Amino acid sequence: MKKKDIYILGTLIALTTLTALFSNVYFDLENIVLIIMLLSGIKFLLVAFQFMELKKAHSFWKILLVSYLVIFNTMLLLVYS
Amino acid sequence: MNTTKINYKDIYYPPGGILMWILIFLELITFGIALIALVVSSKEDPDLFHQSRLQLDTTFGAINTVFLLVSGFFMATTVHQFKLNNLKRTSFYLKLAMLGGFLFLILKGVEYYFKIEQGYTLDYNTFYTFYWLLTGFHVIHVIVGLVILLFMQNGIKKSTAVIEDVEASATFWHMCDLIWLLLFPILYLIF
Repeated sequence: MKKKDIYILGTLIALTTLTALFSNVYFDLENIVLIIMLLSGIKFLLVAFQFMELKKAHSFWKILLVSYLVIFNTMLLLVYS
Repeated sequence: MNTTKINYKDIYYPPGGILMWILIFLELITFGIALIALVVSSKEDPDLFHQSRLQLDTTFGAINTVFLLVSGFFMATTVHQFKLNNLKRTSFYLKLAMLGGFLFLILKGVEYYFKIEQGYTLDYNTFYTFYWLLTGFHVIHVIVGLVILLFMQNGIKKSTAVIEDVEASATFWHMCDLIWLLLFPILYLIF
């Protein structure tokens, strides 16, 4: 069991709790959707880079995944706003 | 058992294999388009989407996210132990990873049961049509993932598993996490 993976898992669970809390408590906040999608994006990248070991892959795959996330979130926020 | 080192820095050999990553991107694009369509639809009747979203239990969604994340952690540990040639531990952590998947399915089943009991079925409104289709397709992926992991468990038991198979199976399993990490905030939180 890698120590770094344990820290990452702790961070992922904390971010999940934080996201759920934010959406229920601060739903009226102006940028809440941006905050929720940002936190979810961080979780997405942590899983891909750490658990799926994408950090070891060729830059092409890293850039492709980050680009997907940026395009998806941008489109989502544009449509939502 | 073959645990030969793979040069992941080679563009053709990402961890899990190039075909698995092509599949992942196709899946992410498909789910992504469906999620954008959901948000576009919400513009027609934001109130209906807000009320429908409030009928979903965020706690169920958050606990299911944790189940998948913990399962993903055990899956990463499984691969790590396999690379160390420790088959007993590999098998143990793989079982824990599968347990996370089963718990996810049980809780999802409970959530589905409540929704059907309350009459929120596929044709209840546009939000629920998206909810059932998106979460349903995701559940199918989790079931397929669990079947793959069962075969992997069998391969480890018989010492016929090779690193490429273990990594590909693990990558498919993690893909279920990635898809859920997009579905959860959009379906359960933002409307």
